Amino acid sequence: MSTKSVLGEVREVQLAIQLIHLGARLQFLEAEVGLSRERLIRLYKEIKGVSPPKGLLPFSTDWYMTWLANIHSSMFYNMYQFMKTHSDEEKVWVLIKSYKLYLQQIEAQESEPILDFTRAYTMVRFFDSDMLQLSTCCRCAGQFVAHAHDHKSGYVCVLCRPPSRAGKARGSKRAAGGEISVPGMESIGLAVEAALDGGGLH
Amino acid sequence: MNVANGEISREIGDINLAYMLLAQKLVKQDRVAAMFRLGVSRELADMLANMSLAQIVKLAASNFLLCSFRLDEHASMSAVVGEGKDTMLQQAHMSILMSARNLQGQKEAATV
Repeated sequence: MSTKSVLGEVREVQLAIQLIHLGARLQFLEAEVGLSRERLIRLYKEIKGVSPPKGLLPFSTDWYMTWLANIHSSMFYNMYQFMKTHSDEEKVWVLIKSYKLYLQQIEAQESEPILDFTRAYTMVRFFDSDMLQLSTCCRCAGQFVAHAHDHKSGYVCVLCRPPSRAGKARGSKRAAGGEISVPGMESIGLAVEAALDGGGLH
Repeated sequence: MNVANGEISREIGDINLAYMLLAQKLVKQDRVAAMFRLGVSRELADMLANMSLAQIVKLAASNFLLCSFRLDEHASMSAVVGEGKDTMLQQAHMSILMSARNLQGQKEAATV
């Protein structure tokens, strides 16, 4: 690794700091940053104030298929692809940049990020290893995250054809809330619902 | 009639100027992010960044709008706008469609 030169090491540390701030897990740091595990753990503790979480990285492609998760994943992956094509940075920086862009977009929409950094990174790896693909919606022509080797013809995306349960839960919530509508409340409701959806599926 | 036309031209000029200045600011901040937001190619982005204020003012004072609809197909437009979507979903849909779109200025660059 390039950690032999002082400048190289500074760069690696800066990279690690960026990644930890975005919420990268230790496994990811070890794979992408040329610093020793001990130093990464020390850095993590210093920045976050707690030890890095243990446990496996998410390994199922199914999460990306649940309703709201699919919308957010598709948003992120489209941005990532754009960045990959048009910026001349290293792959890990492309990932950082597109994830920041995703966060900005979410902030502008005043909703919560559903896709965390680890999930975003795992998704990119799933695409690289041909487990996920982008399918083109035949109604809006947008590209959406889908299982690899799914039928591509006649695909309709989750935004053009939302699952019926999503609509129902929203409707009942709206009815319960009476005439007071709080912007942002809906999306929180949807997030909860998507989480429930995800829980129910697996 | 003439007065109304002059009014419209001025309004177009105002929008053009605001658009150009914003575009330049975005490109100077972060070129790739600006390319993503504006939907313009690298060449066009670089050109925008290097334009002088005088050049921008001159270009903006036109009878034509310099920015155009980016949802250029009826199908995508109606998919995004339709069916009483809430703001968050609309924005998300827009972002997905926009990032996959061909960049303005890229086709020309490719044929030259």
